Amino acid sequence: MPQKKLAPAIRRYILRFFTAMTLYVIFLVGAVWAFPRYHPTGLLAYLLAILPALPIMAVIGVVALYVTEEQDEFQRALLVRALLWGIGLTLAATTAWGFLEVFSLAPHLDLYLVFPLFCVLAGAANGIVRLNYK
Amino acid sequence: MKNELRVLRAQRNWSQADLAERLGISRQSVNAIETGKYDPSLPLAFKLARVFDTTIEAIFSDQP
Repeated sequence: MPQKKLAPAIRRYILRFFTAMTLYVIFLVGAVWAFPRYHPTGLLAYLLAILPALPIMAVIGVVALYVTEEQDEFQRALLVRALLWGIGLTLAATTAWGFLEVFSLAPHLDLYLVFPLFCVLAGAANGIVRLNYK
Repeated sequence: MKNELRVLRAQRNWSQADLAERLGISRQSVNAIETGKYDPSLPLAFKLARVFDTTIEAIFSDQP
């Protein structure tokens, strides 16, 4: 089978995504390492704590850029559908979990886990919406 | 929406991948349009018509 060439929009997406994820790992390790050693306070503490969230925000921007740059409208439509499923399922699941937590029927869910949950659900939805178009 | 893409491709001996390359889209997208699972936008419909040197109405029909 001939090697399929990746569309430029996908190549840019992959490059941006891995750049953001590399920064995420560096910032996360940096914050986890620095906090117990230097006990930052005030604004510096807030800045250091929020540092790992910035590349995650960038990933959201990277996905949005890909949606605008993808030239293949059908692929774009499938991705948008998968993202909507991912958003809907994440909101539904975390809202349900929140109420379970209120009534002490579920352990506390740390909010930074919401984004990975969205990634898993949107990824699964991406596979499912494409099943019809093999 | 019904369409004549399969016939038009066959006349030119093009595969779905050939047509996809001419349109700058994926083969999967050509297949979705050809099987009526996805209706293309007007710009893509015009592009298709141009590739086959015909009109949009000659390719697509909204009659069952």
